[in-house]
Amino acid sequence: MFKSVLRTSSPLIRSSTLSIRSTIPSFTAKFSTSRVVFNSISHKVNQQSHLYKYLTEGPVSVKYTAEHEWLATFSDDTAFVGITKYASEALGDVTFVELPEIGDQVEVGDTIGSVESVKSASEIYSPIAGEVIAINENLESDPSLINSDPIGNGWIAQIKLANVEDVEASEELLTEEQYEASLEHE
Amino acid sequence: MLRTSINKRFYSSASETLLKTPLYDAHVQLGGKMVPYAGFEMPVLYKDQSHIESHNWVRSKVGLFDVSHMLQHTVIGKDSSKLLQKITPIDLSSLKPFQFSLSVLLNDKGGVIDDCIITKHDDNHYYVVTNAGCRAKDIAFIKKEASQFNDISHETFESTLLAIQGPKAQHVLQKFTNEDLSKIYFGNAKFVQLHNGQLIHLARSGYTGEDGFELSIPSTTPEDAKSAQDFFQTLINEYPDLVRPIGLAARDSLRLEAGMCLYGHELNEDITPIDASLAWLIPKSRRDDVNIRIKDGFNGASTILQQIKNKSTTSRRIGITSKGPSPRDNNKIFSEDGTTEIGYITSGSPSPTLGGNVAQAFIDKKFKIGSNVKIEIRGKKRDGVITKLPFVESNLYKP
Repeated sequence: MFKSVLRTSSPLIRSSTLSIRSTIPSFTAKFSTSRVVFNSISHKVNQQSHLYKYLTEGPVSVKYTAEHEWLATFSDDTAFVGITKYASEALGDVTFVELPEIGDQVEVGDTIGSVESVKSASEIYSPIAGEVIAINENLESDPSLINSDPIGNGWIAQIKLANVEDVEASEELLTEEQYEASLEHE
Repeated sequence: MLRTSINKRFYSSASETLLKTPLYDAHVQLGGKMVPYAGFEMPVLYKDQSHIESHNWVRSKVGLFDVSHMLQHTVIGKDSSKLLQKITPIDLSSLKPFQFSLSVLLNDKGGVIDDCIITKHDDNHYYVVTNAGCRAKDIAFIKKEASQFNDISHETFESTLLAIQGPKAQHVLQKFTNEDLSKIYFGNAKFVQLHNGQLIHLARSGYTGEDGFELSIPSTTPEDAKSAQDFFQTLINEYPDLVRPIGLAARDSLRLEAGMCLYGHELNEDITPIDASLAWLIPKSRRDDVNIRIKDGFNGASTILQQIKNKSTTSRRIGITSKGPSPRDNNKIFSEDGTTEIGYITSGSPSPTLGGNVAQAFIDKKFKIGSNVKIEIRGKKRDGVITKLPFVESNLYKP
């Protein structure tokens, strides 16, 4: 998952001259993917990526919602939002992602986009209040990033938090353990 | 929050005990993702194949669909033609023995109770297949209608109903029977013996737009059920590069591309076949005013024949294509300038075959094919174009 990839980002970067296969197993746990910090040709970190700064730094916290979103908060009081592996698998082949607009002011529960597969469309609601400061435009040309790397390159929006305290105060934001427990009741 | 509004037609919330088809164990063994559907536990997808992959597989190879949840009927007796010609607008005299046709069960207002396939075995013996989701109401309806006739025996039965669909369907199925399948064209049926000894009912038909067969395989005894399941598994195991089991997800996207109706979406009890642009279901021979008379006519004939005669319908069922977010059921359709509401979507999804989105819709007749329209999706009006049906031409086996 986002968290595990981010936390282990430095060893991944250090080992970038090694073959990917030998470095992956310890990081591929349940949700993570091999693609986050490499571009596919050189296996070097894409330093132009919007994620780069955040990948090297790592999140302050990663939370989940019962409706299968993740929220990765960073030290600059911004948070990335996306959908979990569980949700992406439930949706199947993602065919279209509708993104919010940069500058959108959102409250908890506001629509910030939608993820569509052949058989269904699911709206994404913001798990936190703030301002949308970045959107993942790669999803417009390659919506399947949501399937291949939902908790990484499949991020949907970055939100400047209205109140950073909201992340810890919210009862609707779950820890990884709480989220996993919630899946058992699905 | 992600509130997954996964389509109701795949995930009906059924608290009652779900029924299993004779192929249930095979689905589980094959990694089928089972979901409640019309009171049955049915596979929506199988492991290692996504919705789009399964859809494309059927368009290029052979897909096996378990459709045993659909309801099979026999209508036997001297009055069987009379009954069927009262409850549907079909002309049974136009069918030769072992030919079949699509038709619709009609209520007194001409609304569609269900769609059905009627196969004539002889003038006093018919085989009818109706939708799983309409089981209870169809049985009640046909029983009630049959009670008005003297010489009628209407019964329903369960078996393994297996659809074998795709351009290589004949190639594969021919390996399992000595019957020359190249002589059985679309619209025809036959009792055929498989190499395993089972005598099955084979119809050259389907719901994908591709060539294919629908087999009714006896499965009421444990031996027959095992033979049916073995046959299903053998098709998959012996031809892994050609044959895959395919779930309900692709069944819906395939029929949508083929421009076919799904009951509950394009058809319901308030929609006549004329409203749904299915006038071809009322053959010329049944458009005479004599059909309005209760004694000779079909249910709802006065309404339906008036609609045909006066061309009084104001909307029609037609296609929509678009890019971006997919139109879905009940999205409103507006004129290009966005001011006038002109119709609504009945089914819509991304099209794995064509790319972009395809949808069926009921739209004001004044808006012609090629016209730009707006579709309201999640509060925003998006561009769409009125397009002829089907989106993907059917590839049926005809002489």
